[in-house]
Amino acid sequence: MNTDAVLKVPLLTLVGPPNSGKTTLFNTLSGKNYKTANYPGSTVEYYTSRLLSNYNLNAELIDSPGIVSLFPESTDEKVAIESLYSHPDLGTPDLVISTVDSCQLSRHLLLPKQLVKAGFNVLIVVTMNDILAKRGLKVSENKLSKAFNCDVVVINGRTRQGIEKLIESISNNLKKINDADKKNILPNLAVQNKKELIDTFSDIEKIVDEVYIPLKPKEKINLNSANKELTLLQNRTNNNSFLPDALTLKIDRILLHRIWGFLIFLTIMGITFTSIFWIAQPLMDVVDQLFTSLNSLVHQNFNSGWFTSLISDGMISGSGSVLVFVPQILILFLILGLLEDSGYLARGAMLIDKPLSKIGLNGRSFVPMLSGYACAIPAMIAARTIPNRKERLFTIFIIPLMSCSARLPVYALLIAYLIPKDKPWLGGLILGGIYLFSMICSVVVAAVLNKFTKRIFKSDSPSSFILELPTYRIPKFSTVISNAYNSSKQYILKAGPMILGFSIILWFLTYFPNINPEIDTQGITIEHQINIERSERLQSSFAADLGKLIQPLMTPIGMDWRIGVSLISAFAAREVFVSALALTFKVTSEDDEDQNTLLTSLRDARIEPSGEKLFTTATSIGLIVFFIFALQCLSTVAVSKKETGGWKIPILQVVIFTSLAYVMTFITVNGLRAIGIQ
Amino acid sequence: MRTAADLNFKESGIISEIDISHPSSKRIIEHGFTPGQIIELVNRSLFNDPIAVSIRGTLIALRKSEADCIKLK
Repeated sequence: MNTDAVLKVPLLTLVGPPNSGKTTLFNTLSGKNYKTANYPGSTVEYYTSRLLSNYNLNAELIDSPGIVSLFPESTDEKVAIESLYSHPDLGTPDLVISTVDSCQLSRHLLLPKQLVKAGFNVLIVVTMNDILAKRGLKVSENKLSKAFNCDVVVINGRTRQGIEKLIESISNNLKKINDADKKNILPNLAVQNKKELIDTFSDIEKIVDEVYIPLKPKEKINLNSANKELTLLQNRTNNNSFLPDALTLKIDRILLHRIWGFLIFLTIMGITFTSIFWIAQPLMDVVDQLFTSLNSLVHQNFNSGWFTSLISDGMISGSGSVLVFVPQILILFLILGLLEDSGYLARGAMLIDKPLSKIGLNGRSFVPMLSGYACAIPAMIAARTIPNRKERLFTIFIIPLMSCSARLPVYALLIAYLIPKDKPWLGGLILGGIYLFSMICSVVVAAVLNKFTKRIFKSDSPSSFILELPTYRIPKFSTVISNAYNSSKQYILKAGPMILGFSIILWFLTYFPNINPEIDTQGITIEHQINIERSERLQSSFAADLGKLIQPLMTPIGMDWRIGVSLISAFAAREVFVSALALTFKVTSEDDEDQNTLLTSLRDARIEPSGEKLFTTATSIGLIVFFIFALQCLSTVAVSKKETGGWKIPILQVVIFTSLAYVMTFITVNGLRAIGIQ
Repeated sequence: MRTAADLNFKESGIISEIDISHPSSKRIIEHGFTPGQIIELVNRSLFNDPIAVSIRGTLIALRKSEADCIKLK
């Protein structure tokens, strides 16, 4: 034995179909102390961890994505399965731990069957024996072990029953295997003969008939279940499987009812959507407040100058714009986690699949799209649940069209500008109209883009919707919470630096080169003075130069370079548009009357050479239309790059949606003018 | 010949064969739809598509276009 072999830590890989208890087992063995990683060159994720030290066993553990068989269909499955044979960093696993649900042996044993045949060292872990016990049955470890010629351990991942036995079996298996006879297992990724697949199932059926054995009377939980067992045994079909869980069928009679089911689905989604809005808002305000006070702290304690501004307006505000989304991400993933773990999410996807399939999407696109109305960032992360690569990329692609909450302040300002003061109800009506219009437009745009998806996404896997509807159960809160925590952590670590970088570049553009503008300081307060300085600085900044550069583009849509500058600043985050407008129009008071003063100065604004009014009804509606379509959010671009694994899609999104916004604004403004509305 | 897509609400049938020329057939077999198995249409969505069928003690939701490759006796 060479030293390498001594130092090498054995590699255990967990595999199993979805809903087989794989993740619960991984959490038990790793103590949730795991790292997330991507397979090189792909967005497919896996988790790795050292086995918990209290098990007295040193081994590296990988949790792979859920797979049903060893023969891949989609690109993502191919990556996952190739890595199972030979992991790019960790090599071939010394032992593959294959989880199977004890109630679904006749389906779940397919994977271990294929693993053994491929030549892996396999250990079968049978889960959820408590549910099987309710049916008065148990799995014979001996018989299953003989049939597969490998170790079999029955565990209950939730109560940890059987874990010690599993550890013992793992260490026995690792002792048996020495490097000398560790086989070189070559992947066979060719499409398996379907006849052979059917034959494998008949083999499994024969085995399954043998391995289910009735519990002894004293093992039975109580008399009630013993009675149930009789009826259930009579209900067994084909001798190797059961009827689906009776309670699940009962619940589904309501939740998957043709009409009620759909209404309940809409209600649940409505509640999810509003809670991302309402529960997250106070938390986001707290984050916002925190960074604002941090900012003023810096301003108070350091001399004003470009460096202080870099720290406060560039870095602190930039970090703020990363962290302000965390409450929404956390809450969305908590709710989605609860829905997923309870078994409802799969049903929701089934209910909405049909209408979405018409525009090239999938039932599973719905939740991410709905989340997009709160914020595109958690929405794009949520799209990971869509297995089909093309459909996932397409969903991510159209998410920026959903009218996110950052557009609200902009709409609010422009609506306040448009409506007469004595008719506030009109504002609500217009806002409702904006949402409806944006919804209709996203459907139309998606339908049009759908014609080009092959060219954009370079993926031809046919659209498919085959989804297991898991048995209902009470969600496990600790798992849900740790998943939500991990999603947020990943967002901060991976999208955060890019957002921060962009923010600093934007700060640079809006701050330089005129860093010390000369102003008349007579008779004004210091606060006033600072605001005038900021206003002067922005108006003579690189961003203003850029704004003047795009003046020829702004004229056809009835706007001028000042709106152009505000639009450029809004790329940091849409809500910045309002404060940038205030700066460019030299609104310097910072009290509660802010919006009113801003409104007045907007009313007085004129386009320079001609002296025409700048903010007319037509241009204000035009601006609203611009915000409906334009992708003006660096954070979204950063997350889109991360989730799609390249720059192609985010760049296409910016180009397509922003030019669409421009064209639509052009049509709106000139159309309104043509019918006599200035 | 009838297929799983033709099942009425709460009707069950026995699978006779899987049309292996269908692009989704491999996935369907992998989920346990094999000849001889009894399936039942348990739920439908508002649009009658996808449908949920019980197979080997589990519920699987699938589109009608995919259920079409499951031929019944």
